[in-house]
Amino acid sequence: MATYIAKRLIQGLVVLLGVSMICFIIFRYMGDPVLTMAGKYATFQEREEVRRALGLDKPTYVQYARFIWNAAHGNFGKSYISRVPALGLILERFPATFELATTATLLAFLMGVGLGVLVALKPRAWQNRLIMAGSLGGISMPTFLIGILLIMIFAVYAGVLPPFGRGQTVTIGFWRTGLLTVDGWKHLIMPAVTLATFQLAVLLRLTRAGMREVLTEDYIKTAWAKGLPPLKVIFKHALRNVLIPVVTVAGLQFGEVIAYSIVTETIFQWPGMGNLILTSIFESDQPVVVTYIMLAAFMIISINTIVDILYAILNPKIRYA
Amino acid sequence: MKKYILRSLICLCATVVVFGTGLVPAASSASSLVVAVDTPPRMMNPQGDDSDAGLSYMANFFDGLLQRKGPEGKLAPALAVRWEHPDKLSWKFYLRKGVKFSNGNPFTAADVKFTFERLSNPEVSEFLNTGKTIASIKIIGDYTVVIKTKVPIPWFANNMHQIFIMDKESTESRKPGDVMTRPIGTGAYKLVEWVKGSYIRMTANENYWEGAPSIKNIEVRPIKEPSTRFAALVSGQADIVTGVPVALYAKIKSNPKLQVISRPARRCIFLALGNKTGAPWADLRVRKAMYMAINEKEIIQKIMRGHASPSSQVPDPPTIGYNPDIHRLAYDPAMAKKLLKEAGYAKGFDITLTGPNDRYVQDAQIAEAVARYLAKVGIRVKLDVKPKAIFFPEVTGGKLDFYLIGWFDGTFDMGRTYFKIAHTRDHAHGYGGLNGAAYSNAELDRALEATADIINPEKRRQALMKLNKMAMVDQIVWIPLHYQEDLYAMQKGKGIHFTPRPDRWMVYKEISR
Repeated sequence: MATYIAKRLIQGLVVLLGVSMICFIIFRYMGDPVLTMAGKYATFQEREEVRRALGLDKPTYVQYARFIWNAAHGNFGKSYISRVPALGLILERFPATFELATTATLLAFLMGVGLGVLVALKPRAWQNRLIMAGSLGGISMPTFLIGILLIMIFAVYAGVLPPFGRGQTVTIGFWRTGLLTVDGWKHLIMPAVTLATFQLAVLLRLTRAGMREVLTEDYIKTAWAKGLPPLKVIFKHALRNVLIPVVTVAGLQFGEVIAYSIVTETIFQWPGMGNLILTSIFESDQPVVVTYIMLAAFMIISINTIVDILYAILNPKIRYA
Repeated sequence: MKKYILRSLICLCATVVVFGTGLVPAASSASSLVVAVDTPPRMMNPQGDDSDAGLSYMANFFDGLLQRKGPEGKLAPALAVRWEHPDKLSWKFYLRKGVKFSNGNPFTAADVKFTFERLSNPEVSEFLNTGKTIASIKIIGDYTVVIKTKVPIPWFANNMHQIFIMDKESTESRKPGDVMTRPIGTGAYKLVEWVKGSYIRMTANENYWEGAPSIKNIEVRPIKEPSTRFAALVSGQADIVTGVPVALYAKIKSNPKLQVISRPARRCIFLALGNKTGAPWADLRVRKAMYMAINEKEIIQKIMRGHASPSSQVPDPPTIGYNPDIHRLAYDPAMAKKLLKEAGYAKGFDITLTGPNDRYVQDAQIAEAVARYLAKVGIRVKLDVKPKAIFFPEVTGGKLDFYLIGWFDGTFDMGRTYFKIAHTRDHAHGYGGLNGAAYSNAELDRALEATADIINPEKRRQALMKLNKMAMVDQIVWIPLHYQEDLYAMQKGKGIHFTPRPDRWMVYKEISR
């Protein structure tokens, strides 16, 4: 096990190096931060001076080596746009994204599994066919459309939910949370639903497929024959076995939801990392974007590793040598 | 034990929820205002961002030596009560007495000197160009400053509303990160809280030298997504929104609870065209033909939905150098074809039109329309629109042939603009830095250089007007399209008095209710 974890860590480091290198190369073609930083009326010489001050006159590999050296010391550079440390800028936005992603994942998991079971029990009932058709919509409808539709219906026409932002927040230490106020929850509903839709549909279909398979197995028939109460048969005997792959997928998706909530956050002006990153890309704020991508890669790698390790613990038959 | 912990946790949550609801602000009251704007602030360092979006925030926390007032943007005293221009290089400012920064420090000449010296530090300033032209700053007593420039800069005072004065003591003693996030100025408002990505709250400075502002609490909410900004207004969560997209104009107009305010913007959208020798478009007849082939009226009607006015030149009417005698060439595709034939291009030619797609109102659509109009007279246009982050470096690179761009000058002086976008690219003098098609005309350059040390305002106006006419009528340096219109919307019947400024800044001391 120890060798396995060590191996995974080394692999993770290699991936991070690769990701950061690709970022650096792409950034050569993503605009010139010097133009903004020197000001509209700067002369050619003034621009060159700013370029030198930022170290952007050096070849890419020198810039990259310096970035890696500094990053290894915990310094990810200063944002070109706000001129404060990039890592701090991103971490400041982390609570908002984390709360949104967690709520969305929980929502998707509970609804997805619940509906999946329901549908599997009576696959031919018309309500259930409707749910399945809806899930197809959930998979195929783009996030921004769902978001804008929700805003139109619930904020503009009905006027029951606020269209943007986090609402009233409470600060506990460094963590600014919206989960402790009614206003905060009101603001959370629409973005969470928007972000959850895709996952919900995936988990629903996964649960349904698994349940339908398991429900035909002999041990379930035995359980029915023994006269066990239906809830016990369905949840204890059938669902439990279906849940292992569902939990895995939900876990893996969690990392992605954190990293890719860009669209949802932009539509709802949710003050999270995704929102920051989109702005930073438009402004060619290289330090922030590179730091964010490395952070996202780090998160996804860690979640994958943890899931792998959990697998071995949950199912002793799986061995990593 | 486990149950006990759970129960107390639930209790805790419930208490916080009840407590929290008590804090929810009621819809804006008489002494407060919620404004949804289209651009978030980058920082709270007044020299670190020279865009109008950034200066718009800073104008509330800080003051310049001078300020711009009224719908025409007239130059008025602020931290300086008056100013003189004793010789071509010197500018003398007499400072206001008894003004205090928000931390209690008195405002003196030392703060002015400190601020102007800070301008040339690339670590903290985007006003390098202004900073580097200053030769010396002399303090006479506590309340007089004489600034000497290296070369004559006729528009120096015109720029003083953009240079916000910082407190020397606290700026030097605080950590750089703190200076970037917490403004200490003399302005009409003080920052209460800035939650990045969410809101900026400010409260009135009751001791403001111009008198305390009418609205005591302001909450600014930057919302970049236009449809969400619209939803914020319709759902009553914002009192005023800026940057209303033309597509939503009709929708807001038909809503009885809302009111739209439009005002001509200073920015002119135009097409820049190079003139390198041998290119078909170096021929004046071809330039004229391209100008006449574009149906600007239709662009304004169909693409801008009426929210623009045709322009015949780059500067807008309040700018020194605007010439009312310049008129647009009429739309005449037949004449354009004739001119092309005369120039020997009856079969047309190929040209690439470059432009941004995320910078100006309907920018990509305008470029597409231009391409189609030119195709009608036989000019084959290859369209190349791209994000501004990629487009603008190409403009500074100077290798384009034909591109769409917008411009207005914060100093209200055409001279500075022309040096930047019309003068031949000249690395030694720093001219032509945004002359992206490398347009070069020796006669124009000479005329422009001759205006550089004309200080007398009337003579300057005359000289610039003449220069403008030469550029637009005789040489067709650019093909002008239109001036944009700024669209705002606000709640009707709430007693808000708001007149938009020409520079799009949101200066809250000018709003009352």
